[in-house]
Amino acid sequence: MSVLASAKGNVPLLEARDISASYGHVQALKPTSLHIAEGELVTILGPNGAGKTTLMRALTRLTASKGNVFFRGEEITGLSTPRLARRGIVMVQEGRGLFPQMTVRENLVIGAYLHPAETDTQMASAFELFPRLKERLDQSAGSLSGGEQQMLAIGRALMAKPQLLMLDEPSLGLAPRVASEILGTLRELNRRGIGILLVEQKAPLALKLAQRVYVIALGKIVAELKTDEIKSHHDLARYYLH
Amino acid sequence: MTSHVTTSIEPSGIRWQSILPIVAVLALAGLGLVSSDYIVTVLGFAFIYAIFCTGLNFFMGYTGQASFGQSAFAAIGGYGSAILCTDYGWEPLLALLATMVLSGIAAVLVGYPTLRLRGHYLAMATFALGLIVYEITIEWTALTQGYMGYSGIPPLGIAGFALDTLKHQLVALVVLSLIGVGIAARLRQSRFGRALASIAGSESAAQALGVDIARYKLIAFVIAALYASAAGSLFAHFVGFISPEIYGTTMVIQSFAMLYLGGIGTMWGPMIGAIIVSILPEALRGLKEMQDIAYTAVLIFILIFAPRGLAGLSVLFRRAHGRVQEKA
Amino acid sequence: MYKRHLLVAAAMTVMALSGEVRAAETFKIGSSVGLTGYAAVIDRAWRDGLAVAADALNEKGGILGKKIEIITEDNKSQPQDAVVGYRKMISSDQVNLFDSGCVSAGNFAAAAFVMQAKLPMYLCSILPQRDNEQEWAFSFLAPPKFEIEARYRYIKEKTSIRKVGILYDPTPYALMMKGLGEQLAKDFGLEVVAQETYKPDDADMTVQLGRINAAGGGAVVKIGQGGSTVTAAKNIKQLGLDKMLLLSSNDDGSIFQQAGQVLDDRFFFVAPPVQLPKQLKPGPAKDAVDAFLKYWKPKYPDRDPANSARAWDSMMVLAKAAEIAKSTDGKALRDATQKVPSYVGAYATFNFSEKQHVGITENPFLIGKFANGELVVAE
Repeated sequence: MSVLASAKGNVPLLEARDISASYGHVQALKPTSLHIAEGELVTILGPNGAGKTTLMRALTRLTASKGNVFFRGEEITGLSTPRLARRGIVMVQEGRGLFPQMTVRENLVIGAYLHPAETDTQMASAFELFPRLKERLDQSAGSLSGGEQQMLAIGRALMAKPQLLMLDEPSLGLAPRVASEILGTLRELNRRGIGILLVEQKAPLALKLAQRVYVIALGKIVAELKTDEIKSHHDLARYYLH
Repeated sequence: MTSHVTTSIEPSGIRWQSILPIVAVLALAGLGLVSSDYIVTVLGFAFIYAIFCTGLNFFMGYTGQASFGQSAFAAIGGYGSAILCTDYGWEPLLALLATMVLSGIAAVLVGYPTLRLRGHYLAMATFALGLIVYEITIEWTALTQGYMGYSGIPPLGIAGFALDTLKHQLVALVVLSLIGVGIAARLRQSRFGRALASIAGSESAAQALGVDIARYKLIAFVIAALYASAAGSLFAHFVGFISPEIYGTTMVIQSFAMLYLGGIGTMWGPMIGAIIVSILPEALRGLKEMQDIAYTAVLIFILIFAPRGLAGLSVLFRRAHGRVQEKA
Repeated sequence: MYKRHLLVAAAMTVMALSGEVRAAETFKIGSSVGLTGYAAVIDRAWRDGLAVAADALNEKGGILGKKIEIITEDNKSQPQDAVVGYRKMISSDQVNLFDSGCVSAGNFAAAAFVMQAKLPMYLCSILPQRDNEQEWAFSFLAPPKFEIEARYRYIKEKTSIRKVGILYDPTPYALMMKGLGEQLAKDFGLEVVAQETYKPDDADMTVQLGRINAAGGGAVVKIGQGGSTVTAAKNIKQLGLDKMLLLSSNDDGSIFQQAGQVLDDRFFFVAPPVQLPKQLKPGPAKDAVDAFLKYWKPKYPDRDPANSARAWDSMMVLAKAAEIAKSTDGKALRDATQKVPSYVGAYATFNFSEKQHVGITENPFLIGKFANGELVVAE
């Protein structure tokens, strides 16, 4: 804390120190530290079962975790998921976590749960980003295509006015063109000043997008790379192949 | 992709949708008022159950949780009203409100620890609650008179004005149940209602959007308990007699049938279900021993053709209506 | 769409009800019985007893020249269903009188509005609790003390046991009987050393029986009906309590058979004469039993007659009341029932009067046992 306070100008948006999580006796996430700077887009890369989702769930307290977490220098360790959302930490889960029976409109309105007065303005800015959602407003979320569902999931998260948006594999199950379209909007969001932590399996897409990459394997972060330092994808490959 | 149709007719469609059920309920009540006491009794029970189910719908429909123990709060309402009115001469309406408060407190005390449980654990815990209260009504004979039951409970009254005839009471029950549905509808369309719906949709997504799910589950549970308590009190006043069997597992099973038949999670589903499930056996009474079989067959038939309950059929109605409008 | 459903259902109901033909030449008896649920065994017997009696009376011209029609409504042993059934029988069937089964909560729930409709209720169960309701109700159930006294007398006169344990279930009738069991013991020189309760569907009572034994109880006075009696008999045997006697409440003969096969000569039961007809001595009681069995046996050769005999007796009392009343009006029938002279029936003797609405005033019970595959009087 004291270190952070002294370097006020350089306080990271989010910092996790030695965060770990277990399911029963299995330690799915070994003590791991990471940070995201203000306005940064960071990707967590790693193979299936490496602990990416667990890390995201640990950070948002959907899974009980150990270790300390700071948000803009303030300790937020142990705060519940809804309280983190109040601070501006919003996650889009793997599988999108939509309310399939509800309409697109209802999904979005619930997204603005914490800011009911700004529902209309937030919705307007979501439509700006995803015009398709406006056409589908009274359709049930479950009846949307995969890409549209992902748009809705991100749009709904934006309704909550995030400072830090976490996304767990948003490209999962999408056609490459749709996936890159959606990841492209993330860059736009990042440009608007929202910090983004992205879990991704598709390395090429992630590298194109992110400023920095954490590589996770066997439940812990094994490398931290700046994307401009990576000459070729072969550098990454070795982390996948041990 | 019929969404465009639905959108285009929304304003007039919504008005139709909300007024027609009220008209239907009033028509049914009117029919009851010109019929015998037998019909009035059947309808009275239907509207009491409608209140019970409308409350349960908050917890099971809107919030997507399971409770098998709501009869416990009906028992608190029923026995509370019986004891307060019979032994202490309270005004029925006052006793009804007082026991609702008591049920609300009980729901907080019970709900706080149990609502941390999920799925079938929660179901088991609430089921145990129902059984425990049932046992208390049997065993604590000094208070409840056990199996002997509590008799001589005065009819419902308003400001010292007793509703002496069954028909007067039916009117009161219809009004109260419509108020109950109205409150439920208002809450459902509020921020609170949306929060409950998000819990039913996905607990983790709701949390990620800032919904404090533990708190909302508890509130939904308490609301369901308040409705159940009111229904229990109304039952006591309507019949004038209660005994443990009334608030037993039969009540739970009955209310589930009503919820699923009418359409769980819908606004009018609980009331529709309560009315159908109450009237149907009477319509089939002439079949004697075959009554139960025919009744069950009709229930299964309805659930096959309207798996989301009868209220779900209103979607068909809305679509047909929309098509007509489009042509015109 | 669903509104149409509602209206159709409502219309069906109304039609079903208004379709009932009200014939002036029939005498209608309404009966609310639990054909399913906990009361099913007794109430089916009650219903069949009523039907047999109606056949017998109709052969002789019915009641005041009117043919008897019995309308039974199943209350599923639930008070709420009973309320609906009673209402239906009053307003749709317009019955002249009720002769209902043993679901006491159902009868109690209806008592207030049956009284308002000025209709007498003959009951298989105990009377409702409130005085003004009792004025219209007549119970054909033996007061609980008789079952206790019959057993205590037997223990006192035929055994050397002086310490007994009571095993009871929490039904109203059983609770009353248990209270009397405590009070009456000393009149017979007995001491109640243990009182243990059970639920009618308990599958094991070894704990309760063990406690009775530990307290020195040499005989178990069991209060409550059904399969629990057989369970108690089996548990006594399992525990190796080879001196302990089991004395059961009155019940269906099949229960006595089963319990008797387990405990042999250590099992006893309370029975009205009609359950042990072979050893009856000639007299008015035997005549009444024979009159009933003449109609009962051909129809139900293998069924226990006890509760049906009680229903039969209620119908015979009604026939006598109607002769006195010379009217089928509810109030007239109520008043006349109070004037029926002492009637010796197949189950017991009934002495109704204005003050006495529980008809059985003399202990009708014998003590029976199981011997050589048969139920016989225990000497």
